[in-house]
Amino acid sequence: MKLSVMLEQLSSGMLRSMEIFFLTLIFSLPLGLLISFGRMSKNKILRTIVKVYISVMRGTPLMLQLLVVYFGPYYLFGMQIGGTYRFTAIILGFALNYAAYFAEIYRSGIESMPVGQYEAARVLGYSKTQCFCCIIFPQVVKRILPSITNEVITLVKDTSLSFSLAYAEMFTIAKQIAAAQTTFIPFVVAAIFYYIFNLVVAVVMERLEKKLSYYQ
Amino acid sequence: MKKTVVCILTGAALAVSMIGSTACFAEEQKTFTVGFDAEYPPYGYMDENGEYTGFDLELAQAVCDLEGWELVKTPIDWDSKDMELNSGSIDCIWNGFTMNGREDDYTWSKPYVDNSQVIVVPENSEVTDLSGLAGKIVGVQAASAALELLSDGGDQADLAATFGSLQQFPDYNNAFVELQAGSIDAVAMDIGVAQYQLKQKEGYKILDEKLNSEKYAIGFKLGNEELRDTVDADLDQLVADGTFAKLAEKYELTDMVCLGTDEGETEAETEGAQTEAATEAVTE
Amino acid sequence: MKLLEMKHIKKEFDGLGVLKDISLSVEEGEILSIIGPSGSGKSTLLRCATMLEQIDGGEICYMGDRVAYVDTQGNRNYPKGDQARKIHSYFGLVFQNFNLFPHYSVMKNITDAPIRIQKRNKDEVFKEARELLAKMGLSDKENAYPCQLSGGQCQRVAIARALALNPKILFFDEPTSALDPELTGEVLKVIRSLADLQITMVIVTHEMSFARDISDRVIFMDQGVVALEGKPDEVFDADHARIREFLGRISER
Repeated sequence: MKLSVMLEQLSSGMLRSMEIFFLTLIFSLPLGLLISFGRMSKNKILRTIVKVYISVMRGTPLMLQLLVVYFGPYYLFGMQIGGTYRFTAIILGFALNYAAYFAEIYRSGIESMPVGQYEAARVLGYSKTQCFCCIIFPQVVKRILPSITNEVITLVKDTSLSFSLAYAEMFTIAKQIAAAQTTFIPFVVAAIFYYIFNLVVAVVMERLEKKLSYYQ
Repeated sequence: MKKTVVCILTGAALAVSMIGSTACFAEEQKTFTVGFDAEYPPYGYMDENGEYTGFDLELAQAVCDLEGWELVKTPIDWDSKDMELNSGSIDCIWNGFTMNGREDDYTWSKPYVDNSQVIVVPENSEVTDLSGLAGKIVGVQAASAALELLSDGGDQADLAATFGSLQQFPDYNNAFVELQAGSIDAVAMDIGVAQYQLKQKEGYKILDEKLNSEKYAIGFKLGNEELRDTVDADLDQLVADGTFAKLAEKYELTDMVCLGTDEGETEAETEGAQTEAATEAVTE
Repeated sequence: MKLLEMKHIKKEFDGLGVLKDISLSVEEGEILSIIGPSGSGKSTLLRCATMLEQIDGGEICYMGDRVAYVDTQGNRNYPKGDQARKIHSYFGLVFQNFNLFPHYSVMKNITDAPIRIQKRNKDEVFKEARELLAKMGLSDKENAYPCQLSGGQCQRVAIARALALNPKILFFDEPTSALDPELTGEVLKVIRSLADLQITMVIVTHEMSFARDISDRVIFMDQGVVALEGKPDEVFDADHARIREFLGRISER
């Protein structure tokens, strides 16, 4: 196989990896916030359910969760799953898993906010929603950005776990080319691709942090 | 003379395929989803142009051409093949799929490749036969036929008991690197795969003594005889019109295929017939 | 008219009585100082008045209307929704440690609530905010962020922020306690200037000479009750064991 063909194949895999990456973030970041509200809820039943959910999501391997999401509908409900479900299952699995991690990060950020900020907003007449959206959340974002960056970088690498559902993202393709060509070059190329992707992610997050550093 | 036969056969094939396609249209089955391990050359792998191909996939394509189906090539993780099949995300497992030992687990097509499990060792290895593997570390692909053969209850479980240890690995590339690095002493695998690997790599040999002889067939979900019968009929058709032999030649599997080839016809056919009978007995 | 009336207020924390049947009222235009030793319940009283804490007994009236009370069964009744918003607009509170919003500029800290909550005209709010900043001597700081300001400047912004909502009554919860001694003067000066404008104020403070000088009336709180109440001179010169002891301790520092 020519190197150009290999690069082309791996690039198309990279695009699929990026698709997983962005869709996961788009779904898991808001979902994580909702879950963190459940985790901090005054309702004990809801709080317990969410606690168990987070514990399971963080306590079991992501690869196993992907298999459960993909094959679960058949084994649990006898549903026949179609070919397009593979991608849906991957996004669902990743989003559910990362939302659990993000939820705990949000919670740590929200709980670290000084109570004075809530009180000042309350005395000034802000409603609870206004207080959260305008005063608390923007400051939480700044506080949790380093932790979020960590997770996001892990996510870039975790997209390779999609190989367990044989989705043709970059790592799966690298494995396939490596098998057919009996060579390790695709893995080297894949490693470089992942590294560059993460370099870009790191730079973007650093910019974001800098942008928020106008206050302390 | 030969040309006329081919012409007639092609015509027949076309006719059958048209009937087939109309029949299928009525059933609204337009796609045929083949699950395969894309890391299993020469049966299924990614070619020079980045397309999925291989002996099995081209054969599947030929069947689809006959039936007027659209072939969907779905790479699967080999460990999850049963889940993929049972959950309906694929119609069959068609990828150097060993039927021996799994007779009751799937609805099988006719066997089409006569495969053996063999042992690959480095060229300079002191191991010359199976008994020489005593105390050695032997590698095997996870969820493979070779593993089944060597596990408890398998035909070669007694041999495996003499090994130093049996090491599972996810793909053959890893196994060969480990072999080269000396962290394992031998690898058990299908002969077809072994030949493909050895063609690309120097410094290995296949032991003359084989672990067993076994058949490759297409695995359908248990009870899906309708689809199995259709594909079986198509395979006969492809054998008759020479497509099968041509593909076998292309992938250098001529020595191994067991559905009516030009060379070694008698041997292959009798063997094929035997297994066929055996399969039928099982399915019935 | 009585702007604020608190009657028989009780407040407990973990069964420990912090406010034990306290009553007080504030007249329009009046400046009331509350003094007393630490832990006497001064801040808790302010927090109850501003509804940051819920009372365990008694009732609170603003502008003559009863807005919060505990009924005979011991149930708390607090206003909700629009009613609560209306009552909140009656008062402002200046915190000991400012509680400015660090991600907002000085200007936005002052103008956000009037625009967002009171839905007032933007230009008008900005014009008023600039006037307030001028009054606080911070005209050049409108685009600065709280982290770029000194403590005294922060507290002056906080006062401007509270005033921007045009409250009828302004509470100060130890406004200079978190400041370095050399910065208290500038804040006290600002509060003094507000007194000249006839703004109704309730000030919890440890600055005794300031309290004596500025107040119309002083309350001395001790162990959850009002121990003394009256004109500044009456309270500070009273022949009362507890206040003599308290003032003695203060002057030693």
